[in-house]
Amino acid sequence: MTTQKTTAMRAGTPAVPVKTARFAGSVLGFTLLLTLTGLLPLTARSQNTSVKPDDREVDLVQAMVQQSKNEAEEFTKSGGKASDPKHPNLKWAAKLWSYRRKHPGTPATTIATAEALRLLYRVDRISEMKLKTQTLKLTDPAWKRVTYVLLAAANKAKDYSYFISKAEALAHGAVDTEIKARARFMIGEAYWRKGDIDQTRIAFQAVLTQYPETALGKEAEGNLWEIEFLNLGQPAPLFERNTINGDPISLAGFKGKVVVLKFWGTY
Amino acid sequence: MGEVPLLKELYDLYKDQGVVVVGISLDEDLKPVQEMVTSKGMTWPQVQDADKSVRKLFNVKGTPFYYLLDKRGRIAAKDIPMKKLGGAIDELLKKD
Repeated sequence: MTTQKTTAMRAGTPAVPVKTARFAGSVLGFTLLLTLTGLLPLTARSQNTSVKPDDREVDLVQAMVQQSKNEAEEFTKSGGKASDPKHPNLKWAAKLWSYRRKHPGTPATTIATAEALRLLYRVDRISEMKLKTQTLKLTDPAWKRVTYVLLAAANKAKDYSYFISKAEALAHGAVDTEIKARARFMIGEAYWRKGDIDQTRIAFQAVLTQYPETALGKEAEGNLWEIEFLNLGQPAPLFERNTINGDPISLAGFKGKVVVLKFWGTY
Repeated sequence: MGEVPLLKELYDLYKDQGVVVVGISLDEDLKPVQEMVTSKGMTWPQVQDADKSVRKLFNVKGTPFYYLLDKRGRIAAKDIPMKKLGGAIDELLKKD
């Protein structure tokens, strides 16, 4: 989960999942600890027969991903550049891809596939990322995660054409309904980032129409509302409520004042 | 410093200069909200949006999430990070 919180003050940009943004920073701090402890418990646990083989494989792949992060961080700290052919991301992308070849179709391979592609775009090896992506069939369960990686790569490069073409293919031809629906939704997100509001509307409307009673359908509906009514410069929606102390509060009553609305939760 | 102490500092600084802060808690239970409001000294008005209707009105997808409105009630910033809030408020106070 890596999403950035950069949408402030820009009109028409999709709000990114805010929670994940906050975790991004702490992941780095975590990294060193896991370098020391990450791989050891894994070997110990793989002896334990009560652990399902799928889970064990997922742990194994996640340990590889963690190790790749540690090495990339070390490499960058010691002055290594993304363009360096010795960048550890390239080695780990190859390892994860070879894991994929040996274990087709498993949950662990879904992670390995997506993370291999992520390692490549992070060091700007976009053509290699695309070449590898081209080998995935529309029936591949790894798409569940790969779409997120391709959208992140598109955001980084500010070039959405490849993402949109792959996502269109999935939205039409994927067998897994969830992957299909998510692809259509993410096309909306991509156009939103791109600033193409007409296409954004079309995509979210399609999600809402095709998957009305799902969480994704509701999210699409919320985004359609935001596109119309929650742009910078538009009057904020008005509401009247009582405070937790029982005092009535009305947004319309704050005319002439600058208002900060903080949405929060104790959870 | 955490998010809440920073907002508290900001609130204390601006509350007499024409700035309103409204907390909108998405919690379903009132008790933890009241406890946190008391323990952290959050003295600005708090609304409990248990039915998520205000959240829906503003399409809030995660927390914390800030909207900033100008003196005419127009959206001046959405999903603005805490560290930019003070500067943005200063700018808005200069305008009508």
